[in-house]
Amino acid sequence: MLIFAISDKGGTGRSVTSANIAYRRALPGADVCYLDFDFGSPTSAAVFDVPSALRGTEQAGLHSYLRGEVAEPQRIDIWAETESAGLRPRPAQAGQLVLLPGDRGGGEFVLGSDTVRRCADLFLRLEEEFEITLVDLSAGRSYAAQLVLEATALPELSSVTARWLVFHRWTRQHIIAAAGLVYGDRGIMATGASRGHERDRLRDSVRFVRAAVPSPSSPMFAELRPAQALWLSICDEDLTRLASEHKLGPMLTLGTVPLDPVLQWREQLITDEDVLSSQVANLETAQAFADLAAALTDDRRWQSPL
Amino acid sequence: MTRPSEPFSTVSPPAGPDLLIGEVRTALLQHSVALPRAAAGQLLQLRHGERVRTSERPSGQAVSPDLLTGVDCPLPTASGRAVRGVGTATSRAVLTEGRLLQASVRVRIAATGGSLRLPWGHYLARPGTVEPSGRLAGADLVDGHLSADRLPGGALDLGAIAERLLTDLQGRRVLDRRAPFRSRRTRLLWTATRAEPGGDGPGALFTIEDGTLRTLRLTLERVDPVAVAAFCEDLALHDWLLTTLVQLVERSGLGSAPGPEPLLRLRPAVDHLLHLWMPGARVDRALAPIWAGLETRPGFTRQWAATVQRIRDHLALQAIGLPAHSYQGD
Amino acid sequence: MDTTFREVSSDPRTTQLPLSHLSLELGHLYMDDFAAGPGRLREQFARVKPWADAARAAATRTGGRRPRISTCFLIDDYFTRFSSPAEVLPQVLAEAAECGLVIDYLARESACAEVGAVRPARLAEARLVQSPPLGSNGSRPPATEVGWLSNGERSPSDQPGEAMQAAAGWQPPREIEARRHSVFLDVELWDEHEGRRTWSCPFLAAVWQLLRLGLLRDQGQEVLAPVPREETFPASWDSLPPLVRLNPAADPFAAYRTCSVLASRFLPIEHAVRVILAQWSPEESVLRQIAERAEREGLAMPDDVTDRINYVFHAPS
Repeated sequence: MLIFAISDKGGTGRSVTSANIAYRRALPGADVCYLDFDFGSPTSAAVFDVPSALRGTEQAGLHSYLRGEVAEPQRIDIWAETESAGLRPRPAQAGQLVLLPGDRGGGEFVLGSDTVRRCADLFLRLEEEFEITLVDLSAGRSYAAQLVLEATALPELSSVTARWLVFHRWTRQHIIAAAGLVYGDRGIMATGASRGHERDRLRDSVRFVRAAVPSPSSPMFAELRPAQALWLSICDEDLTRLASEHKLGPMLTLGTVPLDPVLQWREQLITDEDVLSSQVANLETAQAFADLAAALTDDRRWQSPL
Repeated sequence: MTRPSEPFSTVSPPAGPDLLIGEVRTALLQHSVALPRAAAGQLLQLRHGERVRTSERPSGQAVSPDLLTGVDCPLPTASGRAVRGVGTATSRAVLTEGRLLQASVRVRIAATGGSLRLPWGHYLARPGTVEPSGRLAGADLVDGHLSADRLPGGALDLGAIAERLLTDLQGRRVLDRRAPFRSRRTRLLWTATRAEPGGDGPGALFTIEDGTLRTLRLTLERVDPVAVAAFCEDLALHDWLLTTLVQLVERSGLGSAPGPEPLLRLRPAVDHLLHLWMPGARVDRALAPIWAGLETRPGFTRQWAATVQRIRDHLALQAIGLPAHSYQGD
Repeated sequence: MDTTFREVSSDPRTTQLPLSHLSLELGHLYMDDFAAGPGRLREQFARVKPWADAARAAATRTGGRRPRISTCFLIDDYFTRFSSPAEVLPQVLAEAAECGLVIDYLARESACAEVGAVRPARLAEARLVQSPPLGSNGSRPPATEVGWLSNGERSPSDQPGEAMQAAAGWQPPREIEARRHSVFLDVELWDEHEGRRTWSCPFLAAVWQLLRLGLLRDQGQEVLAPVPREETFPASWDSLPPLVRLNPAADPFAAYRTCSVLASRFLPIEHAVRVILAQWSPEESVLRQIAERAEREGLAMPDDVTDRINYVFHAPS
């Protein structure tokens, strides 16, 4: 199954959240790979904490592969290569967790005629081996998004399930921008349809993820004055209404990731050890990641809401 | 301007130490059922006008015509010595029992070549041969090829040719892409050199490098490219079977999880893999002793038989309604 | 006791063809030549005659045996259809005889492309193996332009660049086997309109050379067997066998070497033919068969296919 992670704007925590989803999915035994398609700023290595494994990636990452310069993109086995002590050794039941990084210093590029072909080949190749192929796309309307829309429209990929996670923050601007990215001009739906995707099928494969959402019940807000608490709850109602108007309602929302200080300061995988022993991360955050990881393949959550 | 080629020579390869290098990649065919014979023939018809070779005994196998890929690049030397090689690599695809797909690429390294590149027709008359510029120590190239993953890029990359062939075939429309289970491709990098009088006698060194990479060094009395490649394909096939079955059993929870779940998870293996085990069936007589040696240590068939027996024991217990772990419960 | 097991389908055999020493081509006939009248034909054959004699004389290194030489003539019925065999062929044969030339075999150009189930051009195309530029290590597929084949590396087109990357200027194309300076040639192999493929003249000419050299096989079998001529020639080209043996006493059609006596306007075509055949990979078993037979006959054979092809280009006509 292909999962595309995209966001309307930067700063939604899309990369770190999708990396955590991949991690949570691999823990109980699924084979997962994570593709860094954020071509303009390939940084996934930092989240997975594999800096030294990346030394060879100057010319063998996804950029080089998609341009046809290498036959296979470099693969990094996270369990074996990570420098994060919390991730090693590989947990007993865990499946594969593999990162396909971009080239170091690679940039956003224009699509050539063979780029789509190579991208489709890669997806098919990974589908052979992994239950989940999670593709982290650049924010907004990008060549990366266009690339995967064109690749998944090819007949060879018609039998492969592809799902979209659209990350947005819980603010007016972000809700409107996320709706625009999916339903608006040159958005996912319009671009997909123009590349041969069936409109209804594509629409039903999109779900939203609310990121960095302040929870009124969170300890962070325990000190709020009553007026502030009231204001917060009114805002939340307004946003809920706005989201529904823009077709980002609860039926189409796969999950909500709470605002967590750890993620604000350092993008990293949140392990159970971070939650339980050192308690630097919130239990709710880890739970949200695990829920999202489970929801990826929960077909009830992906039924057409219509 | 085109240079005039050397006047006349025979087609037979020049004398000298024979050295073969190759790579086999093995994967599960991305199809829900075993591909029927006719469809297999169609899939492997990689070259118009050339026959797909098929055999039915002792198991169904189809072999594509050979394809050639032109190369002109540094050879993979362990010492880092710059030796340019020009010629062609031979690749072919093998489908066994309509289920396991392999891409096999090999190159014969000629004893010496000239320092200048000759007209291309010279190399096409020696398909599957690469001529090095200048002298080349066989051991340097053997070590280099077997550690190709650790060398800087740019050198001869047989794996890429194999990978492209596999990807091309796995993406064909005749395949429904609903494989019965997920699995990893394995790679076997191999070399074959001729035993020198006074040097090491014939033998083989098989190494499991990591989860998916294996290497094999062969030293032989006689290096016949077709026979050696077929041997390596056979070894790679059985290594894939063993690797995959052991992994499936491990992940199924057989022996740790209670109830019929583990066996249900193993069902695809029972349906699609267990009957494929026939090591050495197509191996040239001259190479049979090497299979025999590998059967003694590490003992491929021993491990396979033990794993299969374990699955069958659990199946039998389930069948008579006796949970395999009931004794643990009390 | 020694047991042997064999399955025919796993161990296929390759047909051998009878071979002459030399296949001598006496010319191509196009509509324009024919339209210009019998005078043009006679003029052509008169020009060819001394060179054909020279080619025969040169083909005497046959290890002491009688040189086996067959002559052939190609008529275009592929690009333009004109007149009919019944009208054209008697004239051609008469004019050739008038000049002292005997045409042993006559072929239609369609025979190189497709005749019934036989598709020689497809067979030839399937065996093209591009000459690799320096740095080809197998990691990427050869740079192909569909329907084209060159003798080198093309000028880079507008490659997709990465954002904020320096732009490259114009780069010249390069002949791979160039000695310092390039003669770069890019050959169009075919084009397609509405799903119908038309093979180019150079590609069919290359197939013609391969047929004459006895190098093509279909599933290991002979591709084009000569058919003896009938008393009269048919009224349509389609009714004429693709390859006709006019002379019952002729030596075999295919030969170890070929020689073509052509007007010099064919030079660019034949340059293209050489670019194609220089990247044509013969079947190993066929190559070996021919080499072994040549050795038995005491002949020296070049292993490079293009070295088996000879030309005489004469003044324009």
